[in-house]
Amino acid sequence: MNDTWTERLSEYIDGTLAEAERGALEAHLAGCAACRTTLDELRRVVARARALDDRPPAADLWPAIAEQIGVSSGAHHVVSLAERRTRRRVAFTVPQLAAAAALLLLLGSGGAYLALHRPPLTGAGAIAQRGPAADLTTSPVGWVQKTSSRYDAAVAELEGALEQGRASGRLDSATVRVLTQSLVTIDSAIVQARRALAADPGSAYLNQHLADTMRRKLELLRRASALAPART
Amino acid sequence: MELTSPGAATLRRDPDQATSGGGTGDAETADVALAASGDGSAFERLYRAHVARVHSLARRMINPDVADDITQDVFVRAWSKLGTFRGEAAFGTWLHRLAINVILARRTTLSTERGRYHDAEHALDAVPGRPVVHELSLDFQQAIGRLPDGAREVFVLHDVEGYKHEEIADMLGIVPGTSKSQLHHARMALRKHLE
Repeated sequence: MNDTWTERLSEYIDGTLAEAERGALEAHLAGCAACRTTLDELRRVVARARALDDRPPAADLWPAIAEQIGVSSGAHHVVSLAERRTRRRVAFTVPQLAAAAALLLLLGSGGAYLALHRPPLTGAGAIAQRGPAADLTTSPVGWVQKTSSRYDAAVAELEGALEQGRASGRLDSATVRVLTQSLVTIDSAIVQARRALAADPGSAYLNQHLADTMRRKLELLRRASALAPART
Repeated sequence: MELTSPGAATLRRDPDQATSGGGTGDAETADVALAASGDGSAFERLYRAHVARVHSLARRMINPDVADDITQDVFVRAWSKLGTFRGEAAFGTWLHRLAINVILARRTTLSTERGRYHDAEHALDAVPGRPVVHELSLDFQQAIGRLPDGAREVFVLHDVEGYKHEEIADMLGIVPGTSKSQLHHARMALRKHLE
């Protein structure tokens, strides 16, 4: 069985035939059992394709991917401080680190400068405007001590906005769970960094590491607080 | 051919569409933001959520033997390109299109290596030395893998992944009429492998 209309059956199924052709094909189908059978089979092929399940690979590919992108593949994914220190010490000298940190701060401080020179704003929207780089306008060494009160205030404000989002139902439980896990992870890294700084307060790397980690927390909170009103 | 923009297709199987307005969308948005800032843990969650889809796509579009390698490549590239993800499309759609780009880039090399060619309509019948009974016993997914390259790609992209002929034509560098023809031939060949 293979007539002129057989070649058009897929288009008929997909609804892409012109009206006139569709009518002509339906008239043909009424009198052609072979084409009706083929049409039924083709419809079953389409249905079968749509029902195919996605299956994960037999082996977990994450460890190899993690290795290639340079992140930990273990259960706890914050690379240990000692490991990061070792890794970075191999690659950079302290002056290089300080120069890189200064560059990072320059790049990130444009918005922060504007934010710091505006009248104080309140609320999650104001925090979102302020951005993660707010307050990072000084040298990384000692930055944490100089700015910790403003950082703590910003974190508290963002956490309050988050809590409001959670309590009002604007943030669903899955989002809250992921955010909570991420915050716990980041807080753990901050605690590690503070401990290390207590033992070595002059370390440019440790100051930068702590600043980076705190900045990550601010960024996460800022993005999370922006999610809550987006769902209204 | 370099295709970098997210596809505009309304994918039947798009997990992001399935959960739109639901619980996982915001969580994934947060994970994307975290991963973009260097959080490997968040990226692993994205990997876990999408690996089955990416791996299945690679398995069907090219070859099960290289699906692992392609999947790794897709996620490594996704990590390096996360900074370019602007959220215009859902992350799953963006990743899916990235996966297709990687697969299509890889297929040229693999096609050359295989050097195989089958007449499209009779591809599954024409394999020499295979008893009919064995052919009929082919699993549907295996049968997809035995289609000629062009017919298989169009069939997977259209009937499995839900792209339109115009989008497929753009991806594969063919005209929409060729895409329709390849799809029909693929479906005709697969009729015998429904069970």
